[in-house]
Amino acid sequence: MRAILEAMARSVSLGVGVILTLALASVMALALWPIPDRPGLEMWIFSPEHQLLYEPALEQRAADNRAHVNMRVIGIPSLKSRMMSAFFAGIPTADLIEIERQMAGQAFTGPIEAVGFADLTELIAQEGLLEQINEPSFGPWTSRGRIFGLPHDVHPVLLGYRADIVEAAGIDVTQIETWDDFKRVLAPLMSDDNDDGDPDRYLLGMWFTDADRLETVMLQGGGRLFDEQGRVTMNTELNARLLAEMITWFVGPDRIAADVPDFSAAGNQLKIEGYAIAYLMPDWMCNIWRLQMPQLEGKVKVMPMPAWEPGGRRTSVWGGTMLGIAKTTERFDESWELAKDLYFSDAIARELYTRNDIVTPIKLYWDDPMFDEPDAYFSGQAKGRMYVDQAPLIPARTSSPYYKLAIDRLRDAAVAIAEWSRSTGTFDRNAIEARCKQELERAESLVRLQMQRNVFLEATP
Amino acid sequence: MSADTPGRRSLAPYALAAPFVLIFAVFIIIPLARAGILALQQTYGPQAAEFVFLNNFTELARDPLFWRAIGNTLIFTLASVFIQLPLALGLAMLLNRPGLRGRGIYRLIFFSPQLMGLVFVATLASIIFEKRSGLLNQVLHWGFGVSLDFPWLQTFVMPTLILTTLWMYVGFNMVYFLAALQNVDKSLLEAASIDGAGPWARFRHVTIPAIRPVASFVVLLSIIGSLQLFELPYVMLNATAGPANRGLTIVMYLYQSGFEVGDLGYASAIGWVLALMLVGFAIVQARLARSET
Repeated sequence: MRAILEAMARSVSLGVGVILTLALASVMALALWPIPDRPGLEMWIFSPEHQLLYEPALEQRAADNRAHVNMRVIGIPSLKSRMMSAFFAGIPTADLIEIERQMAGQAFTGPIEAVGFADLTELIAQEGLLEQINEPSFGPWTSRGRIFGLPHDVHPVLLGYRADIVEAAGIDVTQIETWDDFKRVLAPLMSDDNDDGDPDRYLLGMWFTDADRLETVMLQGGGRLFDEQGRVTMNTELNARLLAEMITWFVGPDRIAADVPDFSAAGNQLKIEGYAIAYLMPDWMCNIWRLQMPQLEGKVKVMPMPAWEPGGRRTSVWGGTMLGIAKTTERFDESWELAKDLYFSDAIARELYTRNDIVTPIKLYWDDPMFDEPDAYFSGQAKGRMYVDQAPLIPARTSSPYYKLAIDRLRDAAVAIAEWSRSTGTFDRNAIEARCKQELERAESLVRLQMQRNVFLEATP
Repeated sequence: MSADTPGRRSLAPYALAAPFVLIFAVFIIIPLARAGILALQQTYGPQAAEFVFLNNFTELARDPLFWRAIGNTLIFTLASVFIQLPLALGLAMLLNRPGLRGRGIYRLIFFSPQLMGLVFVATLASIIFEKRSGLLNQVLHWGFGVSLDFPWLQTFVMPTLILTTLWMYVGFNMVYFLAALQNVDKSLLEAASIDGAGPWARFRHVTIPAIRPVASFVVLLSIIGSLQLFELPYVMLNATAGPANRGLTIVMYLYQSGFEVGDLGYASAIGWVLALMLVGFAIVQARLARSET
């Protein structure tokens, strides 16, 4: 031992010795530092707005001496990696976790028994919650027939439009029932007043690179990427027809759409300038517009989406959040009670709409008069009622671990078709549809290739 | 037994090496071995893992997205070596001219994008290359009549990424070349001039051999950095691989497979292929450098 110490003393300088001592001391301090004991339930959410919603209810719980709740707001990427790491390793994580739709696919990957969220299917049925909640809202949180979370929202989609521009042109949007009507009735707005060869504005803010909007419009028309069994269903006649129609919105002589990005200063400026007239507007987007573009107050209105055919569906669905209970929780009953307290509270349902413009999935609250109140931002419309009216009609969605992959491939297909159409000057609807079939077949085969590799997937791709 | 008996002396080296061996094993050897095992499995965490042996690698070989990622990454690497480095060398030579005033200022200006950090540069670049409102399209529109809708980040993803990295890394590599050029023996250059060598001959036969060790290092660094390209397209393309996977790189595909799809086994296989590519490039580059000396 002495020899070792002498050798170390010879080879270690004073500076290195100090650094080594500090390193050892800090390691010891970290190892011995007591981890604070946090009594109560741990709950992770990703939205600061949701925190504001839940805080009064949690304060009330504290006043009633019920289990304390440590609620933490964690950014989506961090929440996802923390949650998935814990699920992968089977170690304890938060008791309750709120996740949004893009995260759900990965959370449901693997064998059904390895999903990190507790299976709530029987509990929801036993307590009669299925009947109380808008049925299609369970779709994204259901995997292979099992429900893993309570839906936070419905997210019906309407069409938001620049009422000031439309009404100044003397156009009556009540004449619009279908997408064909939409193009015909609003066509006068695509004038080229500055004679630069391009329209000064377009009718729709949407682009072929935007997979979310492509999926939203496709869902409206009855198209879908996966069936209830989780099989990939991208390459269908219906999907090809819907996609072909959308492609004609982006390229060629009948182009009506322009690329106006969301959540960016550049996109907001284009919206303020009225570069596009109408936008797909899920209920949550109302609040984004209200906060990011206050100067549009009184200049915007919403209307039901134009249908694909007369009498067809006038809405779609975009986004979603759920609250799940981690399988590793040791306090399942308390977690379940908390989940119901938060998601079935009438006060929170009201706040959800008044603060965030989001419609609750609890059908009982849809009669609340708050939905009939005029909204100054939306030119005095009772826009809440318009969203509620469409809520039961949203298309059903399914959940798949391969959802993200499929939606990326859908976007790739749309890009390939639009660029082919533009480069070859092929704008014939039938020719585009034929090309859509080829590209969707290619997209589906890529998704299928990945799915077939998955030895844990019970369903046949 | 005295303190310096052979038995005790023989323990000392092991004890001294132990901290390094321990850290090396925990942070390098064990993860490498684990990644090797993972590459032979299909996984959903340690709870659900099945050995598929070489299946991940055979699937990679027939995965068109993987080949797309390889193609994109190689294009980017070639651009780094054949566009970025010559530009860096050219700038360094300009700054190395005798009597140049404000050399330090120029050096700082060219190097400054490095000070901002990659994510900041990527965010800034994505705004500059934006359609309609982007600075570049505005300038091109008013100067040359180019459409405001020119789709840099949709159709021309790789050229856009290459342009951005030129901005970011030309100044960085220039500093290496400038340091090397300032160490070129002036007497050799003067002797070559006296012997009638022109500027090109002096550059070819005196400067290049003198800066070869630094140039080899910079080339290797650029190749390794290019093959690991991830943050720049990830930020510029909004956490996607861009339209039609035009910005998909090997590391991005690894990330997507491991952390979006959740197949860590497949991601590990991609990681091993990337590691082999890096080793291969390093060996080739080392041999080329050795054969030229």
